This record gives sequence, structure tokens and C-alpha cells, in this order.
Amino acid sequence: MFKNYLLLSLKVLKRKPFYTFVSLFGISFTLTILMVISSMADASIGNNAPMTDRDQYIFINYMERSVESIDTIYTIDSVLMESGEMRYDTTTDFNNNNSNSTNNLNYKFLDQNLRTIGSAENYTFLSNNYQTDVYLEGRKINLRTFYVDANYWDVFDFQFKAGSPFTQEDNTQANQVAVITTRAAIEYFGTDDASVIGREMVLNERVFRVKGMVARPLMDDQYINGDVFMPLLTIDARQLAQEELYGPFNAVLKASSPAGTKAIQEELNFLAENYPLPPESWYKQIKLHNANFFEYFAQSIVQEEDAAKAKRLLYIPLIILLLLFVALPLINLVNLNVSRVFERKGEIAVRKAFGANPSDILWQFIFENLVLTFIGGIIGAVLAIGLIKYINKNDLLSKVSLSLSPMVFVYFIILIFVFALLSGLIPAYRMSRTNIANSLR
Amino acid sequence: MTTSQPTISTNQTPAGNAMIELTNVGKAYRTDTIETLALQKMNLTVPSGEFLSIMGPSGCGKSTLLNIMGLIDEPSEGTVSLAGQRIEGYNGNAIARFRNEQLGFIFQSFHLINDLSVVDNVELPLLYRRMSGSERKRLSLEALARVGLSNRATHFPNQLSGGQKQRVAIARAIVGKPNIILADEPTGNLDSHMGDEIMDILLKLNEELGTTIVMVTHDERMAKKTHRLVRLSDGERVS
Ligand SMILES: Nc1ncnc2c1ncn2[C@@H]1O[C@H](COP(=O)(O)OP(=O)(O)O)[C@@H](O)[C@H]1O
Ligand SMILES: [Mg+2]
Repeated sequence: MFKNYLLLSLKVLKRKPFYTFVSLFGISFTLTILMVISSMADASIGNNAPMTDRDQYIFINYMERSVESIDTIYTIDSVLMESGEMRYDTTTDFNNNNSNSTNNLNYKFLDQNLRTIGSAENYTFLSNNYQTDVYLEGRKINLRTFYVDANYWDVFDFQFKAGSPFTQEDNTQANQVAVITTRAAIEYFGTDDASVIGREMVLNERVFRVKGMVARPLMDDQYINGDVFMPLLTIDARQLAQEELYGPFNAVLKASSPAGTKAIQEELNFLAENYPLPPESWYKQIKLHNANFFEYFAQSIVQEEDAAKAKRLLYIPLIILLLLFVALPLINLVNLNVSRVFERKGEIAVRKAFGANPSDILWQFIFENLVLTFIGGIIGAVLAIGLIKYINKNDLLSKVSLSLSPMVFVYFIILIFVFALLSGLIPAYRMSRTNIANSLR
Repeated sequence: MTTSQPTISTNQTPAGNAMIELTNVGKAYRTDTIETLALQKMNLTVPSGEFLSIMGPSGCGKSTLLNIMGLIDEPSEGTVSLAGQRIEGYNGNAIARFRNEQLGFIFQSFHLINDLSVVDNVELPLLYRRMSGSERKRLSLEALARVGLSNRATHFPNQLSGGQKQRVAIARAIVGKPNIILADEPTGNLDSHMGDEIMDILLKLNEELGTTIVMVTHDERMAKKTHRLVRLSDGERVS
């Protein structure tokens, strides 16, 4: 019996090439857009290496120093009451001259204060990333270089293609070793096979020996987007010893569970509130801007330092936009389906007059939608895969690579199918109940 | 797909008995403001094997009467019996099955499905029966042969003339070998030559297969060829 429905839908679809084309285009286009969006979302905020435990991180990316001079204004009001004279004193505090500044931190501050955050399971200190130009046989290559401590390789789960991370010992002894990405390997050595391990690289006129090679992360994140990683302590010792609070360093702390990040944040806030600034300092208060992954992601996109505000600024419009992106093609699909069913009012009535019962009519439309969704789904998948590969290959999103998750694809096929089905079935159901004579008039 | 429902037995032709019996049938169309009485106190019995024609001015309720006989419209009052069965409910699988097995429709404007080929249009009633694809095909070609359109099986409706379309519609109406054929002005959209062809097919069908036929027509000439003529005026029988 189902074979009849299937054959029938193929016949109808074949006879209506324009309608079929528009429907297929709608379905595959919807699917392609959904796939690319979700793949972008996954690449930037998904649980991907090297931030598989992304919900357990607290990022400290700013310190804020501030000073408030408080002026107090006394206002004396007197109000005459029935019983006599009453006097009110009003004191108004208002802040003027509230001055602050923000920056990254210095190594010494991190070294002295952040090694003892009890709620953190692990932590890493790292430098900002630097753009380093390397001249090689007349070619200029631009590499992003990081100075990171040895914990970095435990806090982030980079995928090692060859070799190994550098060790605590490498760091403390300031050994001139480096971990590089496959991209750096190709740029510098012309190959990304294991033979690069042990070879030498000249960076800023110093020679580093390659110790490990990692896969390039999907996401372009300021904590992991380096090409070359060197031990933190290979930095000039004078820089490391600076007393100044501000400097070019950051810290990432890792909790043992996502829930544990709150405790870390509380500890950091407590530390900042009670941090004793020297009496001669003009600033009186420091604040450590710390953020979990989503807050930090929002901060880095909207360039807003306040984590909560950044989250609101980014996620509310983003979610609305995403819903629109998903909703518009779906609404289009629904519209297409509904009008198609109403167009076939006469056919439905004829079928009923010749003995089709409502379920026959419904099955017919289910099969038509099924066949359309299936074909459109395949086209959509091919388009999406092609588009994502193309984007990745040509680095169209700069350093971001898109991932392709088969499960996401399956979800979207189901989503589209449900919409196709509902949008076909609801009007078909209504039509299958209407008076035949009226439809045939 | 059609589940067997024992409440209405099918294919029992009460020979010489009433194939269609309408008792006190009335039909009122209600809109927000007005109520149109399309049929009133209609009593009509069509014996098995009769070829009956219905005439009357436009809007007098001929189509309404035919639709009620064909179970595609529900009377506001009165009872309808077909093939000895009194019809009770108008929604559900039993009524669909009854239409499928007992009734064949021919409409003035053909109502073919343009997206389907001629043979696919003809086999439509058989889709709602338990039957193999090859059997369906065989019966459809047989019905097409009866209306003289064997060579048009793979054409599509928009490649046919009006007379050919109506012959396809007749093939569709007879393919399931129903006891009753209801034709609403089948020659209304055709010239007299094509109209005669259609009429000949219907007469032959009635004669050879004993199919009961009720036909609405505006053409006295056509009506004269049938067994009996019923005239309507303003929803009532006048003869
Ligand atoms: N669905 C409907 N709603 C309201 N009035 C209707 C409807 N169908 C038919 N009528 C009215 O019922 C009367 C009979 O219609 P119909 O049976 O089609 O006439 P005929 O076929 O004899 O021309 C007409 O007055 C027509 O306007
Ligand atoms: Mg009429």
C-alpha cells in the first residue's frame, strides 16, 4: 500500500517540476543555512579540543584599578510642623572624580597571588599572543607566538600530532623548546609530519627546538590561537620581575566541575577586594575581571569588560537573530506546503468522492513531504558540506574552522521533516474533513 | 487502507428493487444572513437498472439532489437509502468504502487530476481497494477501451479535447464497476456531436452492465433517450 503512496508522490512531483524545484530549493537551502550556522556556533562555543572542558574555566583577562573621591554634601532642611519646628539633616554622597583603568596583568602579580586559589583544580599563566615575523630564506612568515607555563598543556587538551608538551622542568630552566601547530610546521618547515620534532626554529633571534606538534584548534580564541608556544620563563627575566601590576599576562583557572567555577570567582573577587595596594598608590581599589567561558566569549565579541553586561549584549540579540534565521526558512517551507495543499482542494475532493477516506489523503501528503524532505535533505547536506569545506579551505572566517557534526545534521533533518509534515498535514487534515460537494462546485 | 466495516454490506443488487430511495429529503444552505432551501420534501425512488434523467432551470437544486444521492453532501432532513442500505453517518471509513464500491461520478467540468496521466486518473478509485498494481492497470485499460480511449492511456488531461476528457471521466467512473453512476450535466460543456458520443457510451453501459444511472441534463434530446425524466423547480419535484 505504501508503495502506491510513494509512486503517487513521485508522479505528482515529477509532473510539477517548478513546484518541486521550489520546494527542494527551500528545504535544501534551509538545511544548508542551519548546518552552517550550527557548525559556526559549534566551532566558536562548542566543546572542542583544546577546550573540551570549557565550562570549567575561569578566564582572568583584566585588572581594573580605581579610585573614588567622595564628597559629602550636607543639606539642612527645616520643616515647620503643627506642633512646632522640626529639623531634618540630609546627607548626600555623590561620587565625583571616579577614575579607573584596566589592563592585562603582570607576571609577578599572578605568581604571588593566583597560585593559592583553593577552589581551582589547576591553573595556567600565559602571555598575550604576539605577532612575530620570521624571515626564512628571503620569505617573511607571520606567526602568533605565546609564552605559556607547563600547566598550560594540562589545562587545555591540545591534540598532539607528534612529540610532546614541554615540561615543568623545561619551563623552570627556561629551556628553548617550543610546541608548534601543524600550520606553523607547514609554513616554517614545509611539512607537518613527525620529522619536524627536534628541528630548530629561529624566533626573535633565538633558537628554539621543536618539542611537540599540535593540531590547529577549530576556534580562534585569544588563549589558544597561537602558532608557536614557548616556555613562559624564557621571557626576559626583567620583564618577569616587574613590580608594576599591569603587564602582558593572563591566567586561566580550571575548576574540577562546571559548578566549581562560582567558588573560584568568589575567591578571586575576595582577593581583589582585600588586595593591599601600597599607601602611596593613587588607585585605592583593584578588581579582577574574571569570566566563565560564555561570559568571556561574549566579552571578546562585544568588547565589553563587564561580563554580565557582555553576556546580555551578545546573547540576547544573537538568540533572536538565530531564531529568525531558523524561523524564516521554516516559515517559508510551511507557507509553501499550506498553499500547495489548498491548491489541490479539487483533487482531494475527487479522491474522496471516489472512496478515499481521510487517512488516505493524509498518507498521500505524508509521503509527498517525506520524499521531498529526503531529496531536499540530501541536496542540503551536500551543499552544506561543500560550503563548509570551501570556507575552511579558503580561510574565509580568518582563523575559525567549521566542524561538521553528523548528529547536528540528523537533528535538522528531523526538524525540517517535522515542519514539512505539520505544514502539509494540518491543512490536508482540514481539507480531508471538508464537504466534498462544496469543493467540487 | 480502507478497513472493512460490516455495518454496510456492499454489492448486493436488489434486482428490480429500489437502488436509490430518497424519503422526505430536504437541504438547506445556511449562511450568516440567509437560508436557501435547495431541496424540499423530495421523495424519489430509482429502481435498479434504470436510466433516469433530471431536468430543471438553473439553481433549482439538481446538483444538490445528485450530490445527496452520491453521499458527497449531507441532507438537512429526510433519509437516503442506497442499494438497500440506509445511510446513517457521513464521515468515516464505511461511507468512503460505500462510495468507492457503489458509486461513480461524472462531473460537468470533468475534475480530472491534471498531474496524473489518463490511465492514472482512471485507476484512481481502485487505489482505495486492496488490489495488485497489475490488476489495477488491467482494469483501467479495460475501462479506457470501453470509452474508446485505449490509445490515450499515457497522455495527460491537458493534451485531450473536452469530449476525450469526459470519456476519461466516464472510464474513471466505471472502472470500479459500481452499481450507480451519477452524472451532473456530463454533456454540458461539449458540442452536440461529442455530447451524443458520451450519451451513447452511457446508454450502452446501462444496457450491457445494468448500471443504474442518474443524469442531470439541460438537453431535452438527451433526456428523451433515457427511461424516465424527473423535473425540478425551486427544489421540488414537478413531475
Ligand atoms: N454551498 C452552498 N451554499 C449556499 N447555497 C448553495 C450552496 N450550494 C447550492 N446552493 C444554492 O442551492 C440552490 C440549488 O443549487 P444547485 O443544486 O447547484 O442547482 P442546480 O444544479 O440545479 O443549478 C441554488 O439556489 C444555489 O445557489
Ligand atoms: Mg448544477
